[in-house]
Amino acid sequence: MHSIWAVAANTIKQALRMKIAAVFIVLLIVLLPVMGVSMTGDGTLKGRLQTFVSYSLSLTNLLLCLLTIIVSIYTLTNDIKQKQIYTVITKPIRRFQLLLGKLLGVVLLNIALLVLFSAIIYTITVYTPKFYGASEADLDSMNNEFFTARAALTPPEVDVTAEVLDTYEKLKKTGQLPPEAGENEIKAELTRRKQLWKRAAVVGQWLVWEFNNVRVLDPNESLFIRYKYEVSINPPDMQVYSRWDVGDNRQYPPAYESFLRKDPIRTFRELEVPAYLIADDGYLAIRFLNVPLNRTTVIFPPDGLEVLYKADTFTANFVRVVLLILFRLVFLASLGTLAATFLSFPVAILFSLCIFFTATISGFCLESFDYLGEKLTWVYYYTVRPLILLLPQFDKFNPAQFLVPARIVPWSLLAKVAGLMICIKAFLLLLLALLIFKFREIAKIII
Amino acid sequence: MEHAVETFSLTKIFSDWWGRNKVYAVDDLNLQVRGNEIFGLLGPNGSGKTTTIKLLLGLLYPSKGKAVVLGGDGADPKISARIGFLPEESYLYRYLNARETLDFYGRLFGLPANVRTMRIEALLDMVGLKAVANRPVGTFSKGMARRIGLAQALINDPDLLILDEPTTGLDPIGTRQIKDLILELAKRGKTILLCSHLLADVEDVCDRIAILYGGKIHAEGQVRDLLLQTNKKQITTGAISDTTIERIKRLIKDEHADCVVTSPMDKLETFFIKAVADAQQQARPTSGAVSTTEISAFLAAEASQKNILDKLVSASVSRETPSEPTATEQVVGVDTSEPESDEQLLRKLTKPAEPARPGPVPPNRKITTEPVKPKAHEQDEDKKSILDQLIRQMPDSTSPKDNTEQTDKNQ
Ligand SMILES: Nc1ncnc2c1ncn2[C@@H]1O[C@H](COP(=O)(O)OP(=O)(O)OP(=O)(O)O)[C@@H](O)[C@H]1O
Ligand SMILES: [Mg+2]
Repeated sequence: MHSIWAVAANTIKQALRMKIAAVFIVLLIVLLPVMGVSMTGDGTLKGRLQTFVSYSLSLTNLLLCLLTIIVSIYTLTNDIKQKQIYTVITKPIRRFQLLLGKLLGVVLLNIALLVLFSAIIYTITVYTPKFYGASEADLDSMNNEFFTARAALTPPEVDVTAEVLDTYEKLKKTGQLPPEAGENEIKAELTRRKQLWKRAAVVGQWLVWEFNNVRVLDPNESLFIRYKYEVSINPPDMQVYSRWDVGDNRQYPPAYESFLRKDPIRTFRELEVPAYLIADDGYLAIRFLNVPLNRTTVIFPPDGLEVLYKADTFTANFVRVVLLILFRLVFLASLGTLAATFLSFPVAILFSLCIFFTATISGFCLESFDYLGEKLTWVYYYTVRPLILLLPQFDKFNPAQFLVPARIVPWSLLAKVAGLMICIKAFLLLLLALLIFKFREIAKIII
Repeated sequence: MEHAVETFSLTKIFSDWWGRNKVYAVDDLNLQVRGNEIFGLLGPNGSGKTTTIKLLLGLLYPSKGKAVVLGGDGADPKISARIGFLPEESYLYRYLNARETLDFYGRLFGLPANVRTMRIEALLDMVGLKAVANRPVGTFSKGMARRIGLAQALINDPDLLILDEPTTGLDPIGTRQIKDLILELAKRGKTILLCSHLLADVEDVCDRIAILYGGKIHAEGQVRDLLLQTNKKQITTGAISDTTIERIKRLIKDEHADCVVTSPMDKLETFFIKAVADAQQQARPTSGAVSTTEISAFLAAEASQKNILDKLVSASVSRETPSEPTATEQVVGVDTSEPESDEQLLRKLTKPAEPARPGPVPPNRKITTEPVKPKAHEQDEDKKSILDQLIRQMPDSTSPKDNTEQTDKNQ
């Protein structure tokens, strides 16, 4: 253990004194406060905070990811190239201890930097409203929609398999199937259309969502319905008029409370409703009416409606978001260590960066590949897809995506990410690295 | 265990990425280094010396055969804890300073903090880098880096010391010190495996040697046996008259043998050591290594005691009380032009360096006329005023230590 610590301490010294970390640290220390002052968002204080948190966290995340990759690779490849490792590995230290020491050094450095920078971001975020002397109303809206952590309820996707089969059979009988497309392709397309129709309301039509087990900590608080409209025809003023009924529709007359709204299309809006509308058994119904004032069909996109309620504090949520970043840094450190055990510095950097960027857009990759033609899909299914699934999905756990809408990062999600990204993926990488390093001839020079 | 190092038809074949271009760097090598001997591995460039060492230490894996070091595998932490290794170049972390470097390696051995600090200080003293211990190793000259490399190899008080061309880049004094050190360690029951092609060095210290050529042993045996010319005799005498020489020549002629008479030359090594000794007596400024023989104290203390801790405690004590009278004596005696033996000269050269050690830039007269006093003065609190006066009065004095000396004489 003492040798692991010695190597870790040495690695940190190396990163700091060789000025690798210094570049990133200076950059962030300068940029973060500048961003705090210069970012204005949509002009409101809330918008300003949302933009700042989003950009500053993303920047910190990106720079620390790069730093992690570079340091974890540099520290090992440099030792091997400049042969300091000859004097280290001939001391009573096992090879896995050397690797673990390097990894520990990088992770400790990351923790320190992450704590530093997130503290800066947090401080700027919390003090900005005070600094600008926000009004009561502003503060109120910020406390409800930014300085909090809200859990979200999303309606489940409607099961349309039966309908799809039905339609498919009908089309088949009548011979209307397009000849060039395969069965799966047609079914997928049908499913998509059916589901879209479940989320669409023509003029004068109601849409109903029902939720069970809605548990709010404090019934005096509010619920927030967060929604976004798509339309079939753009209305002249780009606005949609609507009526929302929220309450319990199981009895007659239904205990609804109604809200009339006018919202711009294609942007997320929030409707605040009192929490007492939830029935005692946790049931909640929401109805949307496409009022006849509109001349267009209103469609909710797949993620277009959710019910938010306060579940935790901003600070606790912020800490969890930072932990999410730390997890990916640990993964990247393991990745860098692995690459360094068998590649030279530039190649290892290239390799790790490729993986990093693929992981950053892995969700997009998976989605876009899913639309490929049938034959290609088959190849893709057994080659690229498993590889992409092996990577962590960084974009799915993007830090800004949680803090901007004040969305809670539940501990369960954190545990899941930790388990998947660190306990399984990073661990496997490390295991592979140890294996490669154990059998590597340190003094062998390959040109 | 009889052999400290033993190899059994050890073979290392280097091939390129495609498996072509075979290089037999070490070829069926059967090497035996006995415990407690100084073994020299000689050979021209590329004969496989370094490769052999790498194989012993597990930096390379043998293509065939095997190597046993201290009765086990050289890569096993239990074994490597007893090995000291100085690679062919001192591969050090450039951003660590000398003290941190030694501390890092000490930690790898899991030495407790107090032992570590004591050893580090003793070793820094020994290799003469105490004055520059806080400079990054990357800024060191080649020889200075070599010295730190050597200190690093000794930090664990190893049973087996493997030195790959230890004297490259070292000045003659450093070379001499390493040779003395090797002999000293051997006296203590350690085993030393030495690689070099500086034959003079090997000849001076090694008990046995092996000459490698193309990865194979070409000749092996006791140095004495290999070099002894039994058909010749050498006579060394003091200054004798020509008539005596004539008489000796006649005597030899009677035995039908040839004889040549010449005056012996000083070895350049001796001359160099003398010259540097002079410079150090005058305390010329240097930002390089300052030679000392502190190792003798360090090791002498070790020899007499069993417990490592005790050794080091006593080592540090003996270090803190440098033999003051000898120092004075030597400073005074430097002018005597009597011929001296190498050993005396070396000791003289290195001893006073401790009390009179100049910093990286020792205070010279022009600086000391200012009221700010250099550190060395602090020890002589009571003499401060006298010293100050002396500094102003005596334009010839160049170092605080010299001043003290002068004061004593004046009184
Ligand atoms: N990693 C390597 N790959 C290929 N060949 C190597 C490698 N290392 C050493 N060699 C070859 O092995 C042979 C022995 O090299 P080695 O370094 O052991 O020589 P040496 O006796 O230490 O020489 P020197 O006196 O120059 O230090 C040389 O021909 C060298 O080219
Ligand atoms: Mg060599």
